[in-house]
Amino acid sequence: MIALFIGPKFINPINMNEIEKEILMSIRLPRVVVSVLMGMALGASGAVLQGILRNPLADPYILGISSGAALTAAVGIIAGLTFWGVVTIPLLAFLGAMITGVFVGAMGWKRGGFWPERLLLAGVGLGFLFAAVLMFIMSISSDQGLRRATLWIFGDLSLADWSVIPYGFIFITAGLVICMSRAKALNALVLGDELSHSLGFSPRKERFVLFIAVGLMTAASVSLGGMIGFIGLLIPHIGRFLIGSDSRALIPVSALGGGILLCIADLVGKSIFSPMELPAGIITAILGAPYFLYLLRRRDVLGA
Amino acid sequence: MSSERKDILNPSETKEHEIHKNISRSQNAILEFRQVGFSYERNKPFINDISFSIKNGEFIGLLGANASGKSTILKLAGGILRTSGGNVNLWGKSIQLYKNSDRAKLLSYLPQILDMNVPFTVRELAGMGLYPYEISPALTPDEAIEMVGLADKAGSLITNLSGGERRRAFIAMTLLQGAGLLLLDEPLANLDIKYQIELLRLLKELRKNRNLAVVMALHDMNVALQFEKIMLIKQGRILGVGSPDEVMTDALLRQAFEVELEVKKHGSGGAYIKYQDIF
Repeated sequence: MIALFIGPKFINPINMNEIEKEILMSIRLPRVVVSVLMGMALGASGAVLQGILRNPLADPYILGISSGAALTAAVGIIAGLTFWGVVTIPLLAFLGAMITGVFVGAMGWKRGGFWPERLLLAGVGLGFLFAAVLMFIMSISSDQGLRRATLWIFGDLSLADWSVIPYGFIFITAGLVICMSRAKALNALVLGDELSHSLGFSPRKERFVLFIAVGLMTAASVSLGGMIGFIGLLIPHIGRFLIGSDSRALIPVSALGGGILLCIADLVGKSIFSPMELPAGIITAILGAPYFLYLLRRRDVLGA
Repeated sequence: MSSERKDILNPSETKEHEIHKNISRSQNAILEFRQVGFSYERNKPFINDISFSIKNGEFIGLLGANASGKSTILKLAGGILRTSGGNVNLWGKSIQLYKNSDRAKLLSYLPQILDMNVPFTVRELAGMGLYPYEISPALTPDEAIEMVGLADKAGSLITNLSGGERRRAFIAMTLLQGAGLLLLDEPLANLDIKYQIELLRLLKELRKNRNLAVVMALHDMNVALQFEKIMLIKQGRILGVGSPDEVMTDALLRQAFEVELEVKKHGSGGAYIKYQDIF
């Protein structure tokens, strides 16, 4: 709510004129909606990824899934692809997310299990590669929107408008519904493949279905406002601390927390050095990266 | 794990548990291995021509050295690994033909190596035993937790427990799953002798009340001597099946474990293993 009225120009909610109403409805409201949707997608994706990979450091950004989605989306925008109509770009982002995820998963898989270090290194390495390719494509592109490459890489919500919101909403809702319906299976997967099998789940199938849900949510989030890191890492950890690890509660709480955090991060980013704006992704990185390093230092995290 | 809990060990009357009740009247084998072979690597058979069956109320101890194939046999029995030759049948039907959730009501498998870093509380973990069921059976998570002696730790995180307590929390989950056949891979590892005895007694009680069958990998020969039926394994083959008297002879045990040892008999009928002198 507050985010609606604070900005380069403060709007008094009780006494608005026409221009202020226009700013509110066509710039600020969509931006708040986009930040909440993206945050929900990222928070829930993090909670699910940490479960299916049995790795507390998993997050769509760290594992390179966001970069994969961003790269294919950017290629789609530059090539002017529209073969699936308005959902072309998010679908391309989804494909990018899935391909990257499968690749990172394959790199991290050895002798019947995911190796935490291999997964992280594969994800971070691919993330670097994709970001470099993305920068290259953007720097040779004449498209004005894409020239804001650095903003896209750090997540930029300032371009949010109503046109992108509906499909983002559909992708994210679908992803959340899938995750919630498979929450028990996710709990079982946390115990390991053999125990989840014994409890009546097919670990491969469940992991695949949940991964598709993560792909949908990450792709939607990237298409809405670029790459934003560390929400998927930070929020599920706070959630576990507050309400425990049962996925049936953790997924909705992570979605809610992610939405709130990104909305606040965006508000802080656009107000702190006003009128200059900091991308929301920088704020979340400043919060999340030190926490990532802290987790990395804790030895039990990697099962060592 | 006290005897006052007998009431809750009886077969429950819920619909889901009807399966066990009907099944337990039949005298057929629950699980049957027919000339089962398996290999982890191509052309390197790890399990060879294993055939055996287990009936209701039967306890079988798998005894053998490390890497003899005990764990692999249990994973094949649980349908986690697929045979590369022969069949594993559960109630006369190939185990791979069962729906996951149906199989989970008939047998449950507990691996030897349990991920001890799971972020759940004892109650949450035990409660997962109910996942195969739409309608909860009569046993509640708290009752299962009490049976393994963790009542005062029900709300604690698994990560804050000792190794033995963690294993007991997983056992509570397995008990809650309520299957008629338990496949336990070295369930006594990390357990104090007190809890080893209590767990074995609890399983025996469940056998009396629910006709429970158990296949358990063991490496402690003195525990194995307590079993009625032992299957001695070496290099993926059965070295012998039968009562400890028949199978746990000096010759066979020396062959299985490749150490000097002697089975000493007590006058009263009991026995113990005497290993070669170390110091």
